[in-house]
Amino acid sequence: MTTKFRFARTLAVMAGAALALSACGGGTNGSAGDGGTEGGTLSYWSMWKEGEQQQLIIARAIKDFEAETGATVNVQWQGRSNVQKLVPALNTNNVPDIVDGSYAKLAPILGDTGQALPLGDAYAAEVEGTKVSDLIPKKYLTANNILDADGTPWMLPYSLTSDGFWFDAAQHPELETAPPASWDDFIALLDKYKAEGKVPLAADGDIGGYNSMWFTTALVRTDGAGSFAKVVQDKTGAAWDAPNVLAAAKRVEQVVKGDYLIKGYNASKWPAQQQVWATGGAELMLNGSWIPTETGTYASEGFKFSSFPFPAEAGQPASVRADFGGWAIPKKAKNPELAQKLATFLLKKDYQDAYGTEAKVLPIRTDAATSPEMASVKKSIDGAKEIYLQNDGVTAPGYVEKVFWPINDELFLGKINAGEFVQKMKTATVQYWKDNS
Amino acid sequence: MSRTTTRRSLSAAAAAERGQGGSSIDRQRRKLLVPFVGPAFIVYTLLFIIPAIGAAWISLHEWAGSGPMKFVGVKNYIRVFQDDLFMKSFGNTLLLLFVVGAAIFILAFAMTLVLRDMAGKKIVRNVIFFPHLINALVFGVLAGFIFNPGGMVNTLLKPFGVTEPPAWLAQDNIFPLIMATLVATTTGYFTTILMAGVDRIPPYYYEDCALAGANAWQRLRYVILPLTWDVFGTCAVLWTISSVKIFEIIWVFGGSSGAGIPPTQSWTTAVYTYVTAFSGQSTPAYGAATASAIISLALVSVLVVFLRRAMRRDAVEF
Repeated sequence: MTTKFRFARTLAVMAGAALALSACGGGTNGSAGDGGTEGGTLSYWSMWKEGEQQQLIIARAIKDFEAETGATVNVQWQGRSNVQKLVPALNTNNVPDIVDGSYAKLAPILGDTGQALPLGDAYAAEVEGTKVSDLIPKKYLTANNILDADGTPWMLPYSLTSDGFWFDAAQHPELETAPPASWDDFIALLDKYKAEGKVPLAADGDIGGYNSMWFTTALVRTDGAGSFAKVVQDKTGAAWDAPNVLAAAKRVEQVVKGDYLIKGYNASKWPAQQQVWATGGAELMLNGSWIPTETGTYASEGFKFSSFPFPAEAGQPASVRADFGGWAIPKKAKNPELAQKLATFLLKKDYQDAYGTEAKVLPIRTDAATSPEMASVKKSIDGAKEIYLQNDGVTAPGYVEKVFWPINDELFLGKINAGEFVQKMKTATVQYWKDNS
Repeated sequence: MSRTTTRRSLSAAAAAERGQGGSSIDRQRRKLLVPFVGPAFIVYTLLFIIPAIGAAWISLHEWAGSGPMKFVGVKNYIRVFQDDLFMKSFGNTLLLLFVVGAAIFILAFAMTLVLRDMAGKKIVRNVIFFPHLINALVFGVLAGFIFNPGGMVNTLLKPFGVTEPPAWLAQDNIFPLIMATLVATTTGYFTTILMAGVDRIPPYYYEDCALAGANAWQRLRYVILPLTWDVFGTCAVLWTISSVKIFEIIWVFGGSSGAGIPPTQSWTTAVYTYVTAFSGQSTPAYGAATASAIISLALVSVLVVFLRRAMRRDAVEF
């Protein structure tokens, strides 16, 4: 009898503990559900980590936002994996009210799956007298497909990322005024550096996403924005037989076989080669607009970051890569109104200027100030007629990391030639769609 | 016929009755079983068994991790098995399990033999155990410092006239490097466990060996192996379980200490599962990812059962 009682007591204690634990879990949600009134609470999972320049600006904006609205923003500075962490959270009630990330990361998780809140209210709101929808240049919206099924945008961008050939303008001021106008000019420039005994190009060949910029950009230059995505979407694989696809691959092969790339690019660990580049060990590097921030700490003294776009193709409109970085609000958010208010708050000129000059990235507002490092990129973005995305916007499950990158790596690391690349990509793409349709 | 049945059921009933009664210690033990095992059982069920069942359920669906789930039956399993990349990752997992495992245990036994008679063996033991204390991530990051084109190894090789050093970190070389690193970091761990078993062997067996003129190999074959068989068996199971889960060292070894993912040449099933679900580059495929995880789980279970069978021996009492 006594043991039975003791057993019952043990069970009771355990049940109590379990309840207490679940109560803890529930408590955090409950506090966020105060409704959309002024002075509510907002939870924000950030893509930035404490100490990063972007984080400092957003933290400052949030402080001002709290002072102005009386709201409390609970921020978790999670870093780049915040969107990945969001996936399991979306199935629970513990969903953040607002997250930020790149379009490439938010689209597959929130946008394409219909889990993002339509931001009609945010776009209709006014920031410093201008409607938000007028602050986001229309030309970006053709490539960054942020419209949901009903045609309302689900993402509110606050910055852009782009890419180009980066160089030290202190060493090569001539590239700022007269960058290579065509592919042939570009190759001639590489040959010139080689003849001078310099290393023309640096590349961290272990990063599939950097290696693939060469082929996708080369194809987009000849066939226009969205052309790579179209080739990928062709389930018969026939699109890979197009002459321009082979021509784009041949350009990559030309760079690889031409002995322009830094020795050991195929056997190093990021960021070894970009470090070599930033300390003067190579002249050019094809990479993203994050390079000045990323390499700024170890670049040689007097290094003047500048860039020119991937050479244009005669008869084709000037195009440029511009990926959105910005806000999205899950449909399950407890406080969507306040979240939209915070999203638009970041579009104030003050913060946008800080984004450009302090964080040295590209603010979404065209009238915002930018740093000298970004001047060249900013110029090509403003002048571009067409916009394309990283991986040309391909987000089919696993295609980029399991099909495209591995085969493209073989091409870029010199293991196969252009013809073999096209054949392999064709076979693998046909197989991919057979498995995934 | 019917009488034997009756007798058997009678004796069974008697045994049951004895079970009910038994000594007071037995009774006490039985009563404590539930409160003692219960909490662990509940926690285990909540944290492991229910999620495993959940994963099995998800693996039958096409699902992006949130939003609508579409039931597809065993299609994910078929797809995963048809995927060359999965088979390659699976092959790598088996390489880790068998090739690295064999190397580890051969080395561990060799060290056990050497260490037993060595002066200062305690210090040596600590030294060889030390790498196991370090997080695998550190080795992944260090690999860059050591093997980069301008790294330590190539700098050291330069004075010897090596101007064209091998491409250490080329995509095809990364997996062998990871295997070597795992051997180097794990051998000490298993040597320590095996040594504990070897230390239990009474010295007079060795004296007997010496008198009989047995060499080191014979000593291993006829004394050490039979007397440490159960320790070795446990070690083999531990290695099987941990090797199938190896993930982080591969993740950081191959060009992903900040950007990108490791080259497919070095993927294991664990990496395959992770990339399929969480790569962040494309729409997550939770169904295929969990299918791959369930296959790994099945692999471990089968191997462990098989190993236990193969290693089963009557324990030698000494």
